[in-house]
Amino acid sequence: MAKTLFEWDYSDYPGAKTYPHLFKPIQIGNLMVPNRIKYAATEDNLNGHDGFVTDAGVEYMRQRAIGVVGGLCFMQGVYMDEKRQGQGYVGQAACWDDKFVPGLKRISDAIHEAKAVAGFQLMDCGRVGAVEVDYCHGPSAVPQRLRIFKPVQEMTNAHVKTMIRQHVDAARRGIEAGFDIMEISGIVGYLISNFISSYTNRRTDEYGGDLRGRMQAVVEIIQGVKDVCGADIPVGIRLCSEELLDDVRGNTPEESMETYKMAEEAGADYISCTLGWQESIYPVISRDIPMGNWIHLAKRAKEHVNIPIQMAYRLFKPGLPNEKIGAGELDIWEICRSMIADPHMPKKVAQGKEDEIRHCVACNLCLARLFRDAPMTCYINPVCAHEWQDEFANPKAAEEEKEVMIVGAGPAGLECAYMAARRGHEVHVYDKRDVIGGTLNEAKNAPYGDDELWTCIEYQKVMCEQAGVNFHLGTEVTEDLIEEEMPDTVVLATGPAYSRIEASGGDSDKIVNLLDVMSGKVEVAETVVMYGNRKPGIGGALHLAKQGKKVTIVGKEKSAGFDVNPSFKWRYMIYMRQNGITVYNDCDIEEVTDEGVIVKAFDGVRWPIQCDTVVISDRGPNESLKKTVQSEGIELFVIGDALIPRNLSSAVHDGYRVGIRL
Amino acid sequence: MPVDTEKEISKMHRMLHSTRNEIGKTYYRWRQVAIEFAGDDAKPLDVSLRAAEIFGKDIGKSFLPRMNWLKGEEGFLMILARSLAGLWNTEGGLATVEKGENPGEILIKCLRDPWPTWAKEYGAPMEEVALCRERMYQTILEDVSAFMNVPLKIELQKAISRGEGETVMRLSKAEQG
Repeated sequence: MAKTLFEWDYSDYPGAKTYPHLFKPIQIGNLMVPNRIKYAATEDNLNGHDGFVTDAGVEYMRQRAIGVVGGLCFMQGVYMDEKRQGQGYVGQAACWDDKFVPGLKRISDAIHEAKAVAGFQLMDCGRVGAVEVDYCHGPSAVPQRLRIFKPVQEMTNAHVKTMIRQHVDAARRGIEAGFDIMEISGIVGYLISNFISSYTNRRTDEYGGDLRGRMQAVVEIIQGVKDVCGADIPVGIRLCSEELLDDVRGNTPEESMETYKMAEEAGADYISCTLGWQESIYPVISRDIPMGNWIHLAKRAKEHVNIPIQMAYRLFKPGLPNEKIGAGELDIWEICRSMIADPHMPKKVAQGKEDEIRHCVACNLCLARLFRDAPMTCYINPVCAHEWQDEFANPKAAEEEKEVMIVGAGPAGLECAYMAARRGHEVHVYDKRDVIGGTLNEAKNAPYGDDELWTCIEYQKVMCEQAGVNFHLGTEVTEDLIEEEMPDTVVLATGPAYSRIEASGGDSDKIVNLLDVMSGKVEVAETVVMYGNRKPGIGGALHLAKQGKKVTIVGKEKSAGFDVNPSFKWRYMIYMRQNGITVYNDCDIEEVTDEGVIVKAFDGVRWPIQCDTVVISDRGPNESLKKTVQSEGIELFVIGDALIPRNLSSAVHDGYRVGIRL
Repeated sequence: MPVDTEKEISKMHRMLHSTRNEIGKTYYRWRQVAIEFAGDDAKPLDVSLRAAEIFGKDIGKSFLPRMNWLKGEEGFLMILARSLAGLWNTEGGLATVEKGENPGEILIKCLRDPWPTWAKEYGAPMEEVALCRERMYQTILEDVSAFMNVPLKIELQKAISRGEGETVMRLSKAEQG
């Protein structure tokens, strides 16, 4: 008889009827899990640099536990060695001593309070570890491909045995801390995957050699952890189904499937199907990868083993996992980034409130922050990592109700509007356009997945409707209108002012605005100069290059896309090369001529570029109306690109922060 | 103001050559500093070879992201050889790559090299230039070999001391030792 921790009845949840396969129980080992939803272990850098759990970490997990509506909720992987070679993140939780158990118990308690299944993960980061020390460790001292990581020390045979023991000891502590299910992390270049891969394991002792030898340490870990877990606590493992390391002679997909079989033979109760390493040259989870691109790997895994298969990787919406579970091609829907963006995402699915989900836009800012020793942040969710700060996450009703005029129905204005209205203010949003969304109406037309950015507006629209925000679309705010309405507060969220070319020929007919280009309002010739080398310019250039135009980017920033986070920027660099886009950074347009433009570099060197259209994507702050508002003595806030042109994330975060302050 | 293209290109060309020239001279100025600090017991050649190792170690790291086995052993060796030749060219050399007579052997030939000229200007021996080049490339290959799990070696075959004529280096797979 399988053990049930908490009783859940989904019969009253409308989402359980729409997605019946997501809300049916599954047995893992001897544990009965009420549904097929899992918040997968995700580092958040919210713990102390000494490895102790913090309030921030506990509250972060509590919200995710509420979100899984009785499913599996895994805390981040813990490192297990006192020397900290296995520590991959400055705020990673530690478990190398019993002293960490009380803190870890706070997390399992928080998960249990939400009647969810508490998962504990063992994670030695291997060759991507040693974030606080000089050397990381691995099966062999294979040099790092990426400079960001520390040099690798080859583990001695005794060191390997100690590492196996550390996994077992940490598992015991996890059980003492109250966790219900155990997981070994063997993904993306962490230690377990280092042992398995022919790329990083060149040992000649019993922990190297052929695939069985390379799996030996993993097998011993699984067996050791199983021994301490006993019959009632299942043990799973996250394993690469494809390493995507064929360029450096890593394992073949067939070998990876053999590792799945060996893990099952060793006693694993489930496998989480993953793919790719941090060193892989192929993209796996960025926005340019279509949703569901990798789901076939779960099906293949199920053809090789008989234990449950779990998978995440660009499965942001419930339809596909529900379908695949129904078809027997997947057992559990893992969720990582989607629940960073909206911790209650699956709960909203269950409640039939999918339109209230704030969707992840797959920008990978969360990863970029973690790799740079910063606490977790979400591009699209301002509350992420602030769950423990009540005044931020659950702001109180306003003490004094105000009439708030928000100028601009873009992402900054909308975010501010619903937060302010929710707190009791009377909010009026004005926009000269007939539609909401601001410049995202145009930005969403850029290729490589930028249409997903629009999900932000869809979410904000629903929030505004629920909060009773008043819209005045097709209404341009003028000095007269402000004087007539005399609101208590004005929030300028007008978006940026597009730059002009302050040079000879700056009034040429060949100069057009990026927004008009992206919306198809203007004709663009075959040869184009895109003025501005930030994200909007790159998106616009790719949009035009996809139409077959010859595009050259000229911009003042020292590097193109400096406003794009590094975990996504490399994709744009590749796409620009593939689409034949030439980029001149650190340059300005000195003159617009009949033939094209004359470019001037920072050091004074000049050269001509032939083109028939010049597209302005360079932007500056928008200060119109600011003086009018100030002269009337009205409280004023300027947010989003109107304050300083940045990106969607800044707009949303600005809007939220002002919305809770009004 | 119309652009005088010839003038702009010649200006950039001058700047490129000045920059290369200054970098080469700066190396030898620092070499002098290092020799002075190393003391009378140190041999200048040893100091320079150690510098070549440090350069090679760092440059080797930048090679690793580009290493790729998808085109097989021959393709990999050719990409590596082109990267080594490209490094030489960036410094102002004129290096090319061609297949050797034996399988798995690639020759890197440098027809023109500015380093001997700078060495002469600062009183460094000519043979030091060739030996440092060889040591730097050997150090680069240490990391590349370890990374790709392929033993590699590079040997100086011929060196023209004044930077004229032809310097030849041979890249090949080493015997498994």
